[in-house]
Order: sequence, then C-alpha cells, then structure tokens
Amino acid sequence: MIAGREISRLRWRRRALFIALTMAGAVAVLAYLRDPPWLLAYSSGFTQWEVAEDGSRVRWAGAHASFFVSSDARDLRLRLRTTFERPDDWPVTVSVTLDDVPVDRLVLSDGAWRESTIRLPPRGSRRVRRVDLRSDRTRPNHRALQLHLP
Amino acid sequence: MADLRAKQRAGGRGAVSRAMIACAAVLCIAGYVFVYTAGRAGPPIRSDGFSYYVYLPSWFIYHDASLASVARDCCGGEFPAYTAIIRWPGTRRWVNAHPIGVAVMQAPLFLPAHLLTKWTNLSPDGFTLYYQHAAGLSGLAWTLAGLAILRRLLLRHFTDGVTAVTLVTILLGTNLFHYATFDSSYSHAYSFCLFAAFLLLAERWDESPGAQHAAALGVVAGLIILVRHTNVLFLVCLPLYGVTDRASLSARLHRLLKDWRGLAVAAAVATAVVFPQLALYYLATGRPIVSAYGSLGFNFASPRLFGVLFSVQKGLFFWSPVLLLAVAGAIWLWRSGHGARRFVAGAALFLVMNTYLMASWWDWQFGGSFGHRGFTDAFPIFAIGLAGFYTWALHRRGTAVAAGGIVVTLVLLSMFQMLQYWFGILPFSDTTWSQYRAAFLRLP
Repeated sequence: MIAGREISRLRWRRRALFIALTMAGAVAVLAYLRDPPWLLAYSSGFTQWEVAEDGSRVRWAGAHASFFVSSDARDLRLRLRTTFERPDDWPVTVSVTLDDVPVDRLVLSDGAWRESTIRLPPRGSRRVRRVDLRSDRTRPNHRALQLHLP
Repeated sequence: MADLRAKQRAGGRGAVSRAMIACAAVLCIAGYVFVYTAGRAGPPIRSDGFSYYVYLPSWFIYHDASLASVARDCCGGEFPAYTAIIRWPGTRRWVNAHPIGVAVMQAPLFLPAHLLTKWTNLSPDGFTLYYQHAAGLSGLAWTLAGLAILRRLLLRHFTDGVTAVTLVTILLGTNLFHYATFDSSYSHAYSFCLFAAFLLLAERWDESPGAQHAAALGVVAGLIILVRHTNVLFLVCLPLYGVTDRASLSARLHRLLKDWRGLAVAAAVATAVVFPQLALYYLATGRPIVSAYGSLGFNFASPRLFGVLFSVQKGLFFWSPVLLLAVAGAIWLWRSGHGARRFVAGAALFLVMNTYLMASWWDWQFGGSFGHRGFTDAFPIFAIGLAGFYTWALHRRGTAVAAGGIVVTLVLLSMFQMLQYWFGILPFSDTTWSQYRAAFLRLP
C-alpha cells in the first residue's frame, strides 16, 4: 500500500516536472519569437531578386508584400514602378504602412520609377520594423510592383 | 474478435504498432523539415492548398464570408486562375471549387499561428510564415491522427504485428507520406483520417448503437462531405457494413430500420455540419448546391479506367503496386470468413463507384501529383485488405518470406520514386513510358 502511494507520488512529481519544463520551454520560445534576429532577412509576397535591363537588382511584389527594416535606420527609401504593357492598363495605387501605420500612398500612372522616402520614428522596443506594400491591382502573373534595391 | 482483444491485452495492448505510430511521426516531421529546408517545395499554402485554406483568413482576419476582402489583399481583387475560385455569372460573387472542410480542420492550428504572428509582428494577412506552416503541419497532424485511428481499427481484427506492418506499408509504400509532407495542404490527408474514423465509428455503432456513436458518425460523415463533396459516396460503407451475402444484406436492412432513430441523429448532425457550406453557396449564387467548375465536368460515357488504375501517367497500381496485395488480401478476407470481411462489400462498392467517377473526370490525372492522389483518401480500406494479405501470408512460412521481400522492394521503390518526384526527376503529370524508363532508379 505504502509502495503504491510512493509510486503514485513519484508519477505526480514526474508529471509536474514535465509540465514545468514544457511551460519554461514555451516561455523561452515566446521570448525569442518576440523579436527574432532572422526577421530582417524575412519577406513575404515577393518573387526572387532579378537583374533589370539597367543591371540593377529588382524584385516583383504581389498585391500585398511585406519586409522588415532595422529600427535603427533613420529613413527608408523605396523605388517602385509597375508595367504598362496594354493601353487599357489602369494606374496602380500603392499604400505603404510601417508597423500597420499608414505612411505613404503613391499612384503609379506610367512605367517610370517612383521614389518614396519615409522618415522612420525613433527605435522602439523591437530591433526591426515591418513595412507593408499594398497595391490595388496586379498585372499578369499576379505581379503588381517592381521594387528596386539600390 | 473478443479472443483477439484478450490476446492483445496480454501482449501489451498493441505496443509494436504504437511504437510504429511514434516512428511514423518522427519520419513525417523529418520529411516535412527536409522538404522546406532543402527548398524542394514552395510555401505550403500553394496550388489547390491555397483554395482549401483561403477561407480561414477570410473568416478570421477579414470577417468576410464572401472571400472578396482576402481577394483584394492577397491578389489585387482577382484570384489567379489556378485557384479555381471563380466569379459566379450573374451575381459576380466568388465561388470556390474547393469546399470548406479542410479549412475547418486547419482552424485549430490557424488560431495559434495568428496569435504568434501578431506576437512576432509578422504581417497578419493569413499568408506569412506561421500561417504557412500551421497549414502544412495541420495536414501532417491529421495524417498521423488517421494512422492512429486506423491502428485502433486494425487492432480489433488483426494482431499487433500485422497492424504495425500494415501501417508502415500504407504510409511508405503509397503516396500517403507525400501527402503528409510535401503536399500536406491538399485535402487527401484530411480525408484519409476521416475515412479511418468513419470505418471505426461504423463498427462501434454496430456494436452499441447509441446516440453518442450516431452523433459522432454524423460529425465525421459531415466532414467527409465538407472536405471533398464526391466522397459522399464513402458513406455507403455504413449501410453495407457486415454484409457478406444475401441473408446478411436483408439482416442489415432490418437492423438499420430498427435503429432508425440513430440514423436520424447521424443524418441530422451531418446536415448541420454541411449546412455552412450550403449557406455559402447560396449567398454566392442563390443556389445551395452548385458546381464551381463551370463547364469542366465528367465524361461518363468514356471513363479512363485503365488510366486511373494502371497507366504510367497516374495509375494507382503502377505507382503504388503494393496495393495489389491489398486487393488480394480483401478477396481472401471475403472468402475466409475473417471478422474484417464485414468491411469488404462497402469498400468494394465505394471503390468501384469512386474509380468510375475519377476516371470520368475531365482531368482524370487530377493535375500534378505523385501517383493518383484521388485514391489517397481511401487508403484506410486498402489497409484492411493489406492486413488481410499479411494475415494470410503469415500462415504460410515460405509465402511470408517471399511476400516480405516483395513488400520491402515495393516500399523502397515507392519511396525512391517519391524522392525523384520531389527532385523534379519525375514529371508532375502526363508521364510517358519513355520518360519513366529514362528516370527509372536514376539518382536525384
């Protein structure tokens, strides 16, 4: 009887230890994921980088694309353009948000490069800021914008 | 059956097959990690997987059942053609050819992914990193759940060893592993799990016909229809469970009539589960039942039966030849009087109807896939036949060794060909005999 109680107590201790370790692991993972260093290299909604006719590196964005910039940066310079291959191609309106706060709006009505310079606020609690680009329409192959990397 | 269960209780309650499920989990996770770290596939939410999943961001992020908001955000207002999400003529509202069932089953992982996305400050649009892998890992998790349910079903009729070997063969000797890892956002892993659950519940309901089992049957039946509408045919396994001859057919009909209350509960629950889909169709088109494939449809007069079963393009038995042993096993079960033969009539009728249906579909190859993905859903019934084959072979020493050698060879061949598919050595569709010969056993 006593042995049985001992075994049961041992089992409970093991379970408690397992739960405590799992919770500690979860807290550690959450703490890491709050501001992970790999975000700077992460982007979504873009194609791979390509080399444009003028030799510069460009990539296409879909209707919604996002990427991250360092919080220490003072400003962000974006160079964008879209294609006008058909006479009835409508202008593309691009909204730029920084951590979900609208910071710029551009209307691309011809095929020329347009530049947007955004002043970034002082560094907050995270090491990166998220930039979202939303276009109101796409061109063939689900592409909306060409983004230029200087 | 009771005798077998007593033996299994004495022998560790299926310890070998339980260990096999654990190994399958490790292997599936390793395969999934390989696919996405080695760059073998694009993000998990792609192709058909996009259309199955797209309801979740629409409902939970944009609070919009019409899919219009998500279309604006992801795609500039118009879904790409490959999604098979079309504007319904007349209403101009979006209708998705892929129903909501997969999204419903992905929801448990979508919600934590959404919270984690906000926590990390990724874009909460439904398509960034955590959403992608929540959708991908969801298919993997349902495959493992399906294997675990299948194990419970098989252990009711077969030994632990036979169950374990059957599970390994079904996972690795067919395209199930591929649809648990590489293309896990497609519907097949989900249907595989639901089919296994339906068979188990059908048997349990037969043993103890209570409202609880009937309601569970209704939920699973409803989900089967929600995941893939044509899988409604699988429900034939319920009325035909236990039918082995004319007398048992008559007895089964009497039994079902006697248990009409249970059937009514199951039907009511299934209808409630399916109702949101009908409501969505109604809101989009003004009709509760529609075909969102437009002019694409069935050619019932000229089914490609040889194509779906044996061809080099996508033939089930060409790409998963180990399933021929399952057919042999099912025939043996039927003739031997084994307890598992209760499933054979329903399974056979479903396979005949489903094969004819798939062979009649305009794209009988079902687009790009490893093997014929239309049959993946039905692997739980092939598993019963396969377990029957192993049981038969185990009683004949020489046959068991030969069968073991054949099965190991066929499983290794299937795995190797799956890797060739992942590495782009085998084409996604329309494989020709000369392409197959040129690629045969060629290393990636």
